[in-house]
Amino acid sequence: MNAKQIHRFVERYLEATGCAILEKSPAHFKVKLSPAADRELTNRPYYWSFVDRTGAEPETMSLLLVTDAAKYDAMTMEAEAAGAGRQPGSGSQGATHSVAAQSVATPSVAAPSVAAHSVAAPSVAAQGGTAEQAGMAALSRSFGFVPAGLGARTPRDDLYFGSRRLEQLFAATRRGGRFVCLFQQPDERALHPYDSAPYTPWLGVNVKVGFVCDMKREEMHAFGVSLATGTVVERFFDRLQGLKLTPRLPANVHVAGAALTLKKAADLVEQALMQKLKTCDYGWAAAANRRLAEELAQLAHYYEPLIESADDKRREQIAAQYEARKEEIVWQLKPRVVIEAVNAGLFHLSGLA
Amino acid sequence: MHPTPRPDRGANGTGKTPHPDVEFVFDRAWADELAERAARNGPWDDWTLFQLAVEAERAKLVASFDELQALRCLPALTPMPHQIATARKVLHEMGGRAILADEVGLGKTIEAGLILKEYIVRGLVRRALILVPASLVLQWVRELNQKFGIPATAQKKAHSWHSDFVVASLDTAKREPHRELLLSGDYDMLIVDEAHKLKNKKTSNYQFIQQLRKKYCLLLTATPVQNDMDELFNLITLLKPGQLGGQSDFAANFVADKRLPKNEDRLQEALSAVMIRNRRSDGGIAFTRRIVRNIEVKLSAEEKALYDAVTGFVRQRYDESGRDLASMLSLITLQREVCSSRDAVFLTLVNLFKKTAEDSPMRAKIWELVEFIRRIQANSKAEKALELIRSTGDKTIVFTEYRATQEYLLQFLKQQGIHAVPYRGGMNRGKKDWMMDCFRGRAQVLVATEAGGEGINLQFCHHMINFDLPWNPMRVEQRIGRVHRLGQTNDVKIYNLYTTGTIEEHIVRLLHEKINLFEMVVGELDDILERFEREEQPLEQRLARLVLESDGDADIRRGIDALGRSINRLRADAKRAPKPALERVLPVLSVVPDGADAAAELRP
Repeated sequence: MNAKQIHRFVERYLEATGCAILEKSPAHFKVKLSPAADRELTNRPYYWSFVDRTGAEPETMSLLLVTDAAKYDAMTMEAEAAGAGRQPGSGSQGATHSVAAQSVATPSVAAPSVAAHSVAAPSVAAQGGTAEQAGMAALSRSFGFVPAGLGARTPRDDLYFGSRRLEQLFAATRRGGRFVCLFQQPDERALHPYDSAPYTPWLGVNVKVGFVCDMKREEMHAFGVSLATGTVVERFFDRLQGLKLTPRLPANVHVAGAALTLKKAADLVEQALMQKLKTCDYGWAAAANRRLAEELAQLAHYYEPLIESADDKRREQIAAQYEARKEEIVWQLKPRVVIEAVNAGLFHLSGLA
Repeated sequence: MHPTPRPDRGANGTGKTPHPDVEFVFDRAWADELAERAARNGPWDDWTLFQLAVEAERAKLVASFDELQALRCLPALTPMPHQIATARKVLHEMGGRAILADEVGLGKTIEAGLILKEYIVRGLVRRALILVPASLVLQWVRELNQKFGIPATAQKKAHSWHSDFVVASLDTAKREPHRELLLSGDYDMLIVDEAHKLKNKKTSNYQFIQQLRKKYCLLLTATPVQNDMDELFNLITLLKPGQLGGQSDFAANFVADKRLPKNEDRLQEALSAVMIRNRRSDGGIAFTRRIVRNIEVKLSAEEKALYDAVTGFVRQRYDESGRDLASMLSLITLQREVCSSRDAVFLTLVNLFKKTAEDSPMRAKIWELVEFIRRIQANSKAEKALELIRSTGDKTIVFTEYRATQEYLLQFLKQQGIHAVPYRGGMNRGKKDWMMDCFRGRAQVLVATEAGGEGINLQFCHHMINFDLPWNPMRVEQRIGRVHRLGQTNDVKIYNLYTTGTIEEHIVRLLHEKINLFEMVVGELDDILERFEREEQPLEQRLARLVLESDGDADIRRGIDALGRSINRLRADAKRAPKPALERVLPVLSVVPDGADAAAELRP
């Protein structure tokens, strides 16, 4: 994911969860979280259980989410320089700033006083910053590390691929987007008021397949099963992307009855997937099995004579150790294919499949 | 939407699997939950989030078995080529079980972090345990968080063991009640730093690590072999039993003598499957220069009187004791303290007084010495140190051997309006870190009694005053090493204060002029001293004897010269000798050229 994609991702998440975007640029968002997003992202379970139990009005946090750190820093630097430029003749000390600004502001018109504010603000922030830094330093001495911005009023997070905050957003979308039930929005113009358009219910599921030994490779597949006919199609998710979907049943639409149960449809998905997996290359698994056998033989070569020659008391101990080692090696090397569903849904699409 | 089930825990195959060699684990819970929601008509999730979830999973997809995924997630880190090569080898050829045996300062932590991150990104490690010496816990936590974005926490309370990534000290972990808790769990990855503490299989350290359940395991040590071949065998066996055969195979195939391997090529090959070592090129490292100045301090008449009185007292006692060196330790200390500060002498005298029987004639003599102390008004050395600190006007670290001197200096500097903070071995970790922060920040001077231990990395300071010199050259080297290390960008100025007409003058002469200690390459001294001790007594004892037994100044001078000569002879030997055989068998992955690693050690 590049910065642009991350930016778009974050924007859609914030919109979907109803967060109030206070400020945005192509490089950042300043956002006041919605209660739902706050629960997901701020790691404050005690606070939320307090709100839930007392019914208090929740105060959600604000975050500064920077999606392109380099660009954002350049931007803020520029803004600061511009701010300083508007107040000619003032020194670099924060205190002299505000004093000078006030003395100018009182006799004259409103414009300089605006400038005074914008100049004085950074100096206050800077002072807050040093006290904050000292606090952070104290915490990090005790804990080794404190996530940036903890305790700050608007903590800043740099979102790059692999960053913790983005990971958290990923996890939040996965928790918040598991099961959907949607209807295709009919094309308004084509619709005749007295007609009823036939819809077919589909089961859609996105699965992630992990080919695992001591290393791992993954694939993703999106299957769709028509609940009317049992037809299975691939790349179903991409097909959905082109459609307008809504959670409410549109007017003048009738949904064909389901001939298949969801359970049956899920079995069809599994069959189709297994069929597909047959064609994969399993050289990696053979190699892993070879290594596993080698390592087990090596273990046997080490432990078996040891167990034989040990006295009764030690024997049990060594045998237990041998078992533990074997388990570890199997755990580490045994080839397996692990299939999990990312999410799934019922999709009612126009037309009969 | 559910965590991947542990493969060794009840997996449900389908019966008709696409491939006989492979187990297929299909998680079917989703279908039930979807059916249940359909039956109750909800609750349904948001379509945008649904799409985003798919996008996120696609972005995280691990498309290939062998491409390093971690690198694209670590914009804050640019690993060096040998570190990446090491990570690749551990991941692809060693299956995640390895001994990382790079020489000091080549970034074993970075390598371990890369490997851990890669497994995390691939979803192969969810829980990891990192066991390190207590003094390194916070540093590890910091590095994993800042450089690798791994949410590691330091083990503080019992509940911190439940974090996914815990850094703890091995000594804590192996003790009850922690031990039982850790042995009952299992860890996708175990990392042990300073793993040379695991060479003896009879120790509790070794047995504890052996019993921990782990999938991947990294052992980090710069010195995988120090003394004998058995250590090597034990370390490898901990990681991969049977890699060097059984104990008897090993002895028969690879051991010529306790310290001497045979079939070196085969041994090296066997080792290379589990061990990676990166070496520096032999030229050493491109350090900045050390500029050493010996600063003469003239004792005041009162100080000189005390020095002479103490010297007389010590020698008299030595003769009375029948020249038994062992019983003389505290008196030798006295002799050295007198060159440092009257406070230090006083404290030792008081202790000595308390230990002496009430009717002993010694007590009167001790009182006499205390009288000499009373007459001293000023500390000539402290004045000199103050002068130096003022003239540099820069961050300065002052080392002394004695607590009492440290206290005195702190007070003295404070009176002179210089902000100084203490640092000593007895402080707990938090306080040490705090003092470091102060020194990095407002304080101009750090007065330290301890140079050992990790964590005091003072690259930001390049003035160092040896208020008194330890008699053990290793300790001097450690002091210098705190400041003169990778990441130091300035030439380091070292000031040795010595008082004329005292034993100190001789010590400075020995260390500086005779053996040129201050210009030695890192690691060289260690080697020489080891050789020295093999032939003779430890250097400190030799010095003590020399001082106690010599007839006047000229005699000491001759003795010091002789010592200097024998050390220099050993030094020449050390240069000629090839690498020890034990070291030769270690499999070297790459030799890192000078200066390439300057960034590696730059600690935050």
